[in-house]
Amino acid sequence: MSIKKFIKNAKESLGLDELKKSSKKKSLKVLLGKLEVRKEKITKKLEKKADKKTTKELKEELSIIKIQIKKGEKLLGKLEKENKKTEKLDKSKKG
Amino acid sequence: MLKKILLPTILGILAYGFWISPDFKEIAAGVAIFLFGMLSLEEGFKVFSGGLLEKLLKRSTDKLYKSIGFGVLTTTIMQSSSLVSVLTISFLGAGLIGLTQGIGIIFGANIGTTTGAWLVAGLGLKVKISAYAMPMLVFGVILIFQKAKTLKGIGYVLAGLGFLFLGIHYMKEGFEAFKSTIDLSAFAVEGFKGLFIFTGIGIFATVVMQSSHATLVLIITALAAGQITYENALALAIGANVGTTITAIIGSLSSNIDGKRLAGAHLIFNVVTGLIAIIFIHQIMSAVDYTSTYVGIANDDYTLKLAVFHTIFNLIGVIVMIPFIGKLVSFLESRFGQEIREEDAEYDSIKYLNDSVLELPATALAAIKRETEHLYDNAFEIIAHGLNLKRGNIISSMELDDVIADPYSAKGIDMDEFYTYKIKGIYGGIIDFSTNAQSQMPPEYIEELYQIKLSNRDIVEAIKDTKHLQKNLLKYTISTNENIKKQYDDIRKGLADLLRTIHTIRTTQEYDEIVTLLAKARIHAEQYDVIANGTLDDLIRNNLITNEMATSLMNDSTYAHDISKNLIEMAEVLFIKGDDETMELNEELRITEDDIEQFIEEKGQK
Repeated sequence: MSIKKFIKNAKESLGLDELKKSSKKKSLKVLLGKLEVRKEKITKKLEKKADKKTTKELKEELSIIKIQIKKGEKLLGKLEKENKKTEKLDKSKKG
Repeated sequence: MLKKILLPTILGILAYGFWISPDFKEIAAGVAIFLFGMLSLEEGFKVFSGGLLEKLLKRSTDKLYKSIGFGVLTTTIMQSSSLVSVLTISFLGAGLIGLTQGIGIIFGANIGTTTGAWLVAGLGLKVKISAYAMPMLVFGVILIFQKAKTLKGIGYVLAGLGFLFLGIHYMKEGFEAFKSTIDLSAFAVEGFKGLFIFTGIGIFATVVMQSSHATLVLIITALAAGQITYENALALAIGANVGTTITAIIGSLSSNIDGKRLAGAHLIFNVVTGLIAIIFIHQIMSAVDYTSTYVGIANDDYTLKLAVFHTIFNLIGVIVMIPFIGKLVSFLESRFGQEIREEDAEYDSIKYLNDSVLELPATALAAIKRETEHLYDNAFEIIAHGLNLKRGNIISSMELDDVIADPYSAKGIDMDEFYTYKIKGIYGGIIDFSTNAQSQMPPEYIEELYQIKLSNRDIVEAIKDTKHLQKNLLKYTISTNENIKKQYDDIRKGLADLLRTIHTIRTTQEYDEIVTLLAKARIHAEQYDVIANGTLDDLIRNNLITNEMATSLMNDSTYAHDISKNLIEMAEVLFIKGDDETMELNEELRITEDDIEQFIEEKGQK
């Protein structure tokens, strides 16, 4: 067995790839949570009366955050899909 | 001159010694094999130390006690305080740690190195370690020939240990055989006179061998064979402790000013510790006797008692010096000031790039990144002044309209002159150093280095574009035509906003804020496209600006767009803090041209 293959097998057995994916998923979830909080704060600020310039800036920030949340949710869905696929494969291997 | 005489003299003395005494030859060969083992061991640990040590450093050196613990642990594992001190100088040179943290690590290394005496006295002399040396050497050398970096590293460590054991074996055998021909203990000198003489010999031997470990093993084996007295062995150990600072001093010669300060701290610490040990030798010896009895070491087991002495006097040194670390740092900072030649005073040059950081790929990379940040600091000044803005205003919470209403100067700055004084030297230095560092870097570092090199190019391009922009900007911001004046003020406002955003990205720890700010910056960069957003058409159609003004605005808005693009790309590489996952996430969440188009469309509909 070559060294590369050995390391790959060891990583698979120890589930290190999964660990990386799940930590990425965790970071993404944390980020999405923080973005949601930011979104709520801006929405609340927009409900209050503010000058035209501030309202414009807040609306712009809100739009940007919405785009980021949308992108983040899409990525999270992709990661979860990949996870399920791997789990299914593992089950079929064991079965 | 001294160097020219010293080496042939030492070689001559050794050759004469080999000629008259085969036993001396055996001892010297033992020392040589031991030193070769140290080199091999250091080579092996360097393979693993890069990324791992950098990660450990970040977590383990924020408090002084942690720095000391880090020094103790790494030296105990690597069995080389010299390697730890050279690596610490490298970390310091790269700006990964501060001087106080560096001093903490050196203090810890002095305690960690005492484990070597315990290993040799407790294990090396009581077990036939040459039996372990042979298989280690065989396995080690086989692994050294492997292509895989990790296996090679393990090979060097194994071979290193093998050579260390073999060296100890030869020294032991040599001294045993020596006993039958010459009794070195007849040269023993008693009292304080002997203490000073043997301390001097210890310093000399360590300076020559550049390893206190090797000197200590030599002392322990000689002591075990009864060739030196216990008192003289203690003095030799004190000397070895002082002599070992030479490695750090040599290592610091190629380092920056902080490296030199650290080597100074090492020397002061070891000399003070040595003096304390000499002055209070009888009290420390009593403490050694008491501790030895307490832990069950026989009264005549002088080799282990030497190990106890070595540990106690280094511990005393650390305890005595800890309260003075702040004063030591102030003293070193005032003693080793930055020397600037008069003709160089106006030219800014590299701060973090020196040969000491080349010790590890991770420190070399960190130093290049730091230097690029230094380049950006200067670029920020030039770009701000080129746009006729004040830096203080940009990074304040001042309204942007007020920022652009407060010009830096009436006639603008000479950007070429600024470039020559503040950018050229640093940029050239970074490129030269990166090329040199790249040739010694493993592939996994190359991609990051490439990204940093691109950031350097982005910074320089942004300055050049600002220079192109400056001429018309100065002309039209004082124009009587309010329409063109507004356009150029908008460009200044947009770029001031970007510089402020980058400053926030650099200083904030909140990743969600960074993501939002980067997206905002990318969207704002598109606002300069005066053709696409219809601004130019409106101005021309309504005869609000001349043809000449229109051409200038078209070209200059492209420059403003390019400046923004380059600075955003640079900020994404230099200022996003976090682990690999964060970097990956940033890559995947980066706002694309489609997102921007969608954003602009939605904005238009509203």
